[in-house]
Amino acid sequence: MTNDPTSPQERPELEDAPPILGSWKRIYILVLSVLAVQLALYAWLSWNFAP
Amino acid sequence: MTSLDWIVLIATIAFIVIYGWWKTRGHQDINTYLRGGNELKWPTIGLSIMATQASAITFLSTPGQAYEDGMRFIQMYLGLPLAMIVIAAFIVPIYYKLNVFTAYEYLELRFDVKMRFLGAFLFLIQRGLAAGITIYAPSIILASVMGWSLQITNVVIGTIVILYTVSGGTKAVSQTQKQQMVVIMTGMFIAAFLILYRLPSNVSVSDATSLAGALGRMNVIDFGFGFKDRYNFWSGIIGGFFLAMSYFGTDQSQVQRYLSGRSITESRLGLLFNGMLKIPMQFIILYIGVLVFVFYLFHKPPIFFNTPALQALKKTQNAGKLADLQKRYDAAFLKQKAAASAFINARKAGDTQRIQQTKRSFQESAKHLEALRKSTRLLIYDNVPRAKKSKEADYIFIFFIINILPAGIIGLLIAVILSAAMSSTASELNALGTTTVIDFYRRTIRPKASDKHYVIASKVFTVFWGVVALAFASFASLVDNLIEAVNILGSIFYGTILGIFLVAFFLKRVGTNATFVAALIAQTTILTLFFTTQLGYLWYNLIGCAIVVVLSLLLRPLDRQAAA
Repeated sequence: MTNDPTSPQERPELEDAPPILGSWKRIYILVLSVLAVQLALYAWLSWNFAP
Repeated sequence: MTSLDWIVLIATIAFIVIYGWWKTRGHQDINTYLRGGNELKWPTIGLSIMATQASAITFLSTPGQAYEDGMRFIQMYLGLPLAMIVIAAFIVPIYYKLNVFTAYEYLELRFDVKMRFLGAFLFLIQRGLAAGITIYAPSIILASVMGWSLQITNVVIGTIVILYTVSGGTKAVSQTQKQQMVVIMTGMFIAAFLILYRLPSNVSVSDATSLAGALGRMNVIDFGFGFKDRYNFWSGIIGGFFLAMSYFGTDQSQVQRYLSGRSITESRLGLLFNGMLKIPMQFIILYIGVLVFVFYLFHKPPIFFNTPALQALKKTQNAGKLADLQKRYDAAFLKQKAAASAFINARKAGDTQRIQQTKRSFQESAKHLEALRKSTRLLIYDNVPRAKKSKEADYIFIFFIINILPAGIIGLLIAVILSAAMSSTASELNALGTTTVIDFYRRTIRPKASDKHYVIASKVFTVFWGVVALAFASFASLVDNLIEAVNILGSIFYGTILGIFLVAFFLKRVGTNATFVAALIAQTTILTLFFTTQLGYLWYNLIGCAIVVVLSLLLRPLDRQAAA
């Protein structure tokens, strides 16, 4: 609880649809997929060019 | 630097600053000044987030780190995309709905004013010191290598940043950062292209990567586990996740970037943009360091990259020892160069047995050369104490830039380094000024003043923190290993701060007293670990956070007692 006289006024919760892929879940999966592809590439680089 | 370099450098910096000022001129109220009028779109937010994190030392140090230690540093960022998803999904909607200017306002709404002050105070201390280092770290290297005055370099960088940050506020910071990131990425791509161009004609990118790999520089991912190992997959994905959660979710210098979004969608997309591009950007910077390493397999590098320190050693009574080391180093370099060429020729011939033989010979010659460099480093550290104030690795890329790259490009890359210094400092000063005004000045001293009054107060406090940062940068040279000390200091506090915020966000039944006591115990534990163990610092973020979360749950009776 707060007695802050400067406490901001809450904003209404707005509809928040992403501009691509239809849902945020799909965008999060895209970010995770990009990470997975990078991990695979870096693991291959480490293995292929090991000392 | 040539006249052309100076023209490129001054024109680039002047364009960025004037563009930022021009885009943000006009009427300012508190929302415009501190949240950019909530007008920014996701590409600007994303670039602004990246520019805030990428300081000048990122571009000076990171290629040198790859040169010395390989690419394993990239693992520190593996947890970052996961953190971006969690922040975008759960934390941004909370900040957005509550309509806050700072992350610490939320702590009062959730707990009480004591927790708000604690969060804001820890941020001001930590970020106030860091802002000084963000100016000092590139200044000491640029001043040393370019022959500039350290104090004047500090003052020039600091004054330019203060001027445009104060004049345009958050929007000016974000708009200039967008341009700065364009300059930074253009400069780095040109550098990468020119290094490849300067490699011997018979050395392809694959050959260059093989040469680097043979000497352990392509150690991008290491799945082995060790608590003392600073960078491996596990510390990166777990410790790096908690570090990124804390930095991007609770540090006002980052929170302010995405609070300036036009909508919750723009803020989320800006964060996710960073989540997708941060690791590739670090990969490119590290790979540039690897290419510089390969370049110096065929062109003799100095025995010690901090050449002003090397020159200072020549004036001491140990100059003879250095001359002897240099003679042996010259011979060892020629042997290593021949071994590298033999390895490449064997690779091209496809003869497996010969490849293994030449690889071993190349590795042994490199080991000998490295031993001579190490002896020289120790000799310099014993005789030139100021050389210890910065790592030799920090001088590698700047040495390469000013000695190898053509006129014009040198000016552009110095502009890259200065842009990075200014972009990080601008975010820090902007956030420090905002937190001081919103969480302390407006909360306790003048709660009901006009918008115009708070804009003026924000400008005054931004100048104040700019002057504090400049003063700290000016005295920073009095302390050894300051940069490392401040980095570790950040990790020591981040875990506890993140723990407080995670309890606030996700454990609705836990109250102020339990969280406050848990935070004090967590901080004491982390400090004890720091002073008594060799634990890699990334783990502090996880441990500090975990202690706050678990203990706050166990200590819930404290809240009930307080309520009774």
